[in-house]
Amino acid sequence: MAATAIHRFPQYQYVDAVRWLPQLSPLERFAVLALFDFDSDASSIQIHSLTPNPFSLQPQFSWSLPSRISSLKTSLFLRKPLIVASTAAGSLHFLFADPSDDSLNSEISLPEGALHSVPASSVDLMDGGVECVTVGEDGKVNLVGVGDSNLSYRRLFDSGGLVSYTAARWASTVEFATGGYGFSLQWWDQRKPGGPVSHFKGNWDKNSSGIVHSIDIHPSRKHTCLAGGSLGTVFAWDLRWQQQPIMLSGAGAGTGAGNTMVQSISESEVWEVQYDRCIKSNTSSTRILPSMICSEDGILAVIEQGEEPVELLAEACAINSFDIDRHNPSDVICSLEWEAVAILTRQ
Amino acid sequence: MPSDTVGNGALVPLSGDPPALYPLHHGLAPPICRLSISWSRGNSLRLSLFSAAAAKVVEVKLTSEDPEIPDAHWRRIAYGSVAPFALLQSRRSSLSTLMKSPSPYHSDWWENVLQYSKEIGSLLGGSKLPPSPIIEDSKTIVKRGEEPTSLKAAWELIEIFYVDKQSQAWLPERLVDWLADYDSLFTSTHETIHGKLVDFQKELVNIQVIEDDPRYWDLLSSALSVGWLDIVVKMLRLHGSYQLDQLSNRELENGLVETVATLISKMPRLRPESGGKLGECYKSKPDFIKCWEKWRSQITKLDCSPFWIQCDNQQTVEGLRNLLQILLGNTDSLCMATCYWIELYISHFLYIRPFTMGIESMYNLAQKCIQLKPQSNTHRLTGLMVGILEENTEVVLAECSREFGPWLVAHAIELLTARSEQAEVLLHEERYNLGGISIVELHRLVYAQILSSHALTWQIAPIYLTSCMKQGMGLLENLLYRQSVQHNNVLLKNIEICRLYELDHISSNIMKIAGVYHWKHGHKGAGVFWLQQAQDSSCLDRIAQQLFDSVGKSISDESFKQWEGMIELLGSESKPAGGLEFLHKYRDFKKSLQKVSGGKSTEIARQAVGSLMLLMKNPSTPQRFWLPLLYDSLKLINWKDCPLLGVSETNLLLNKLQDLSLAKLRPNYTEPSLPPDALSSIRLALATNLGRAILDE
Repeated sequence: MAATAIHRFPQYQYVDAVRWLPQLSPLERFAVLALFDFDSDASSIQIHSLTPNPFSLQPQFSWSLPSRISSLKTSLFLRKPLIVASTAAGSLHFLFADPSDDSLNSEISLPEGALHSVPASSVDLMDGGVECVTVGEDGKVNLVGVGDSNLSYRRLFDSGGLVSYTAARWASTVEFATGGYGFSLQWWDQRKPGGPVSHFKGNWDKNSSGIVHSIDIHPSRKHTCLAGGSLGTVFAWDLRWQQQPIMLSGAGAGTGAGNTMVQSISESEVWEVQYDRCIKSNTSSTRILPSMICSEDGILAVIEQGEEPVELLAEACAINSFDIDRHNPSDVICSLEWEAVAILTRQ
Repeated sequence: MPSDTVGNGALVPLSGDPPALYPLHHGLAPPICRLSISWSRGNSLRLSLFSAAAAKVVEVKLTSEDPEIPDAHWRRIAYGSVAPFALLQSRRSSLSTLMKSPSPYHSDWWENVLQYSKEIGSLLGGSKLPPSPIIEDSKTIVKRGEEPTSLKAAWELIEIFYVDKQSQAWLPERLVDWLADYDSLFTSTHETIHGKLVDFQKELVNIQVIEDDPRYWDLLSSALSVGWLDIVVKMLRLHGSYQLDQLSNRELENGLVETVATLISKMPRLRPESGGKLGECYKSKPDFIKCWEKWRSQITKLDCSPFWIQCDNQQTVEGLRNLLQILLGNTDSLCMATCYWIELYISHFLYIRPFTMGIESMYNLAQKCIQLKPQSNTHRLTGLMVGILEENTEVVLAECSREFGPWLVAHAIELLTARSEQAEVLLHEERYNLGGISIVELHRLVYAQILSSHALTWQIAPIYLTSCMKQGMGLLENLLYRQSVQHNNVLLKNIEICRLYELDHISSNIMKIAGVYHWKHGHKGAGVFWLQQAQDSSCLDRIAQQLFDSVGKSISDESFKQWEGMIELLGSESKPAGGLEFLHKYRDFKKSLQKVSGGKSTEIARQAVGSLMLLMKNPSTPQRFWLPLLYDSLKLINWKDCPLLGVSETNLLLNKLQDLSLAKLRPNYTEPSLPPDALSSIRLALATNLGRAILDE
């Protein structure tokens, strides 16, 4: 891969998550940062505008939130950018943001306790922003419908804490996937309530297991679930071959059946995984599409089945989250443990 | 404080600085009836206030914040210094294994330290000031790129004296540059040339005839005395005789001003490169001395020239001749022109003793300058400078620690030992009075404690702790145990550090703590996961008993879906599950039983019997499940088409029943909630089956 330009922006606050804001016009670009100030115990969501010459990231708007953000997603809703954030106290916030017009900004939220009872819940927003799924360590799975000015929610499932969920991702308007402890994945269908339609449990390593931190599903391959988690593990679960995960990276990867000689770029937590929209791969191929990961040991890399991983960034500290810009897939924003964000522009 | 006053309960008089006051915002209605105070994280006090109706906990941060560097910037410095520090430590250890001696003292070692010093120094830059306008203002005298900080000044000073071997030959010139960069810092405690220049610049627009203002000439000589040639030449060119309308009748005066300006800009300097500043640079000492003598003779010649008498502007003549006295190194003029001893000291290097000298004579000179310019207020950099010139490593360390805090001490120690074996021995020697650790280790431990006390920096403390041979690992274990297990992110980052330093026993203990935490808070799945990761079978055994209590009731009904994921997590036999793997087989059996209940296929029924026998044979199947299992299987035992259980299998089940009746006599036996005739109907079914099976065989 050719030269990559890297810009780092210190924030002087902990960055809990970063996302690009869906672009409304090609001239204006914005990033959403979930920040937490340890000195004053204040958490906020900030919209920063990105200017190319000189390359800079400037805060534009800020909302303060009652508690730290555990999960952050962005989407378009009625042609307006929509930000959804779940907090450690269990509340859920929808921000209708319009950076071009301050007066159009508004927020609706569900208070803490309504959806989840414990810290760390994960959310995903359906494309088009109509419905949002929230899952938590308390084992609850909720669906939140976004109206113009109100929210409606219902509980799809409650495992009563017997199973905890740590990640969620929509696959279609009715199906979504969740992930949890023991490299487990669940497939859900709103039309079939009462529990997950299908289960997967990663047991390629007899001695150690881990947690799924992030899931991605490609719109062109809705039957394949890409998951990243502990021990540098990235794997794909194809619903059609349910008990045969395809290992893409990880410490335990070599031991999986039919997965010999898998390259592993990291051995620590893979905090986020996303399909890399930048690389145009042959979509008719049976191989898993290339994906990007970020990890606790400071790696941001692109991995592709059967190929050498490509390292984009090797930091001295953890990279806790990243986002690929949908409109400019060569641009990646990531949050660094040491109170900074970095923006990469791939050539 | 005298101990008897404390004993008497008398108030202890405050001495020194007035106490700091911290207003409290607790919002409670008075009266407050109870107050409890304890230390919180870092520098915070936790106050718990109780009034009659309510209570509130507030934290008060006792700021010892550096006035120049806010906490968030300090953290950035802390993050940035991790990589250079770790690199230097790894180089040190690889070098000492190579040399087979504990001390890495080596002729080229200082180059590694210099690289480290430059990297750290670049972190310390103050905030960038707004860029100066592109069209240069002729009236701007003082320009700066960034806000200087005392911390950076201290770091550079240590680097100049202790690390950079190459620049030893032009040490005085490096000090000239240092003062040019940091003179403004001293303005906070006393008058400085920089401060006076800034004040004068503010008034410059209001001054009509600059050369009539005595401050103009004072400042010229001051700036010249510390070698700020660019500023002097720029200011000289503001002289009124340069103005076009006056040039004709002040030709001689202007000639004198310009000659002095030219002489000043041609001043020979013993330094490798000018750095864009005025003066002619010479690398070798003989070349320099030759030109220095020539330049001095030109000044002397000008000083004796008859033009001075012909010039009728007396103020210009006096001012310019005073500048010449400074260039000639007139002690009184230098003393008059400078504000405090460091400025005087620098002027001595420039004009009286421009050749390098040993550090010993540098110290004598400093003492002389301090005597000439005694001060009531001293800046924190002054003490450090005196310590360095005294060549007293302990004083330098004490000054760093007192004035700049643990970060500087922990990192600057590497500089102090860069070129001196003596300092290396002094600082690395194990000391009885420090409990057997060295001074280096002591300061690293102190710094690591500071890092450990903040939620954002505790993760970098291990880098420093692991470089401490004696106490580091113990404190690291402490630090890792202290982190919260509540949030997965913190927990996983903690376990990752254990993995990096191969502290498996600690990570397994942390996982146990996490497992119990999650179990207690009702996240049974997460609890079981962490206990499995920790391979804690005894704990799993205990929670298994609790789980079975709820399984017996709920697994058969519609909430089976809830258990499904949990049982998946347990796996079948891969990991230590402390009897919990039984649940997996139980689930399989229940599943096959469900299939049987609908249909009449003997094949499916046979499979269910297989599952049942597996469960009954398995020693990990809890006894209390035997009866419910058999009761659930009545349909199988009474299968119409043919007996599904063989003779030996039936006998095994009958034996289990026998065992159960014995177990009933034990005190801790719990009666399963089954219909009263359950036992007899199982017995009957088994007996009937035995008969059918015998006939069959």
